[in-house]
Amino acid sequence: MGQKIIARTLSEAIEALAKYDCNIVAGGSDIMLQKRNTAGELPRFEKDVLFIANIEELHKEYVDEEGLHIGATMTLEEILRHELTPNVLKDCLKELASVNIRHFATLPGNIANASPAGDTIVVDILLDAKLKLTSIRGVRYVSAEDFVQGVRKIDLAKDELIEEIIFPKYDFDKLIWFKVGSRKAESISKLAFAAAYKLDGEKIASIRLAFGSVFMKAIRSHELEKELEGMSLKELGSRVEEFTEKYGKVISPIDDQRSTKSYRLEVTKNIVRDFLTTLAKGGN
Amino acid sequence: MAKIKFTLNHKKLEVEVDPSRRLLDFIREDMHLSGTKEGCGEGSCGACVVLMDGYSVNSCLIPMANVEGHEIITIDEFKNTKEFEVLYAAFSEEGGSQCGFCTPGMIIASQSLLSHNPHPSEEEIRAGLAGNLCRCTGYQAIIQAVKLASEIGGNLWDKK
Repeated sequence: MGQKIIARTLSEAIEALAKYDCNIVAGGSDIMLQKRNTAGELPRFEKDVLFIANIEELHKEYVDEEGLHIGATMTLEEILRHELTPNVLKDCLKELASVNIRHFATLPGNIANASPAGDTIVVDILLDAKLKLTSIRGVRYVSAEDFVQGVRKIDLAKDELIEEIIFPKYDFDKLIWFKVGSRKAESISKLAFAAAYKLDGEKIASIRLAFGSVFMKAIRSHELEKELEGMSLKELGSRVEEFTEKYGKVISPIDDQRSTKSYRLEVTKNIVRDFLTTLAKGGN
Repeated sequence: MAKIKFTLNHKKLEVEVDPSRRLLDFIREDMHLSGTKEGCGEGSCGACVVLMDGYSVNSCLIPMANVEGHEIITIDEFKNTKEFEVLYAAFSEEGGSQCGFCTPGMIIASQSLLSHNPHPSEEEIRAGLAGNLCRCTGYQAIIQAVKLASEIGGNLWDKK
């Protein structure tokens, strides 16, 4: 305890993680606040600390046959301005925190913080993103959906680092991001919604709906998505209310300082109803 | 403690410092540069923003480890630039500063915005300053000031 290590390379970082029990600091926007102390005093870290922002080899965004890779030290604003970034992620990032914070905050930071209100996690699970977790033992891949297990609970071993996030290739006609917050900037979501679909003539070829801030973690219902897939738009039009109610049971919102359980439930159902109604009419 | 090399206000520094120390505390307490303010201390108010490689960042949330190799400019240095002169004139003209506590952050955030987008729309100004709070002016005067600065600055912020 008491070690503070500045890693300049990935191998330095994972060697430090193998040796010490570390808090990992990327941009610092969340953890520096959580460990905040009186002005002038050092932040209160209870563990060793590993700083990874200086790892240049993780500062990249690129596409290969696997999909889009975003390295752990890319800042949110760099991702927002990058030509390879999917629009649905850009729409999410535009409304996340403020431009000042986006200049140093990172995507793995938002995921590893594992807040139920982590906006980017909603987009990650919508796009079936997976995380590349690296340690001196090797590399392991885990889906963003499985990585976040609950409030502040993540599937990350003590010696592992999120090296990058991988968004597999996808094929949708439309992707949607929608956030309800108290103000335009720096607003932590009351609820967040992301969706994607592809039509095959008058039928739903594929569909995904993801929700944030209305459950202990960002959530999708693969069962309901399966029920909807293959359905004709005409049939969907007659079953909007049924699916709105079903989605209302998927989520389990709570009262907190930002909103109430009943507001979140009603507004989520309104958004689902509106989305499905529009889709039943052919989308857009 | 660790040795951190970086550039502060155009001066190359190599300092022995705890890597978790906040950049804000280093600037204010170690370097006695008190133009940079601490407001909320949690990244919401923007009073502490400084330029890191030309981009506005909240120095209250940045550990010293993360400034390694970067260039930091605070308001105490930025006030010596042409860009500052124009912003100063525009903020004065429009009444964009009242008690003044948010102003160093507002100016730095304005510089970060204009240096990457020299002629922003009103919406872009609002987004660019969304991380900076002001309890006096009601914002409209500040938005006008940035708009005026981008006009009277001519091509000052255009990429060279």
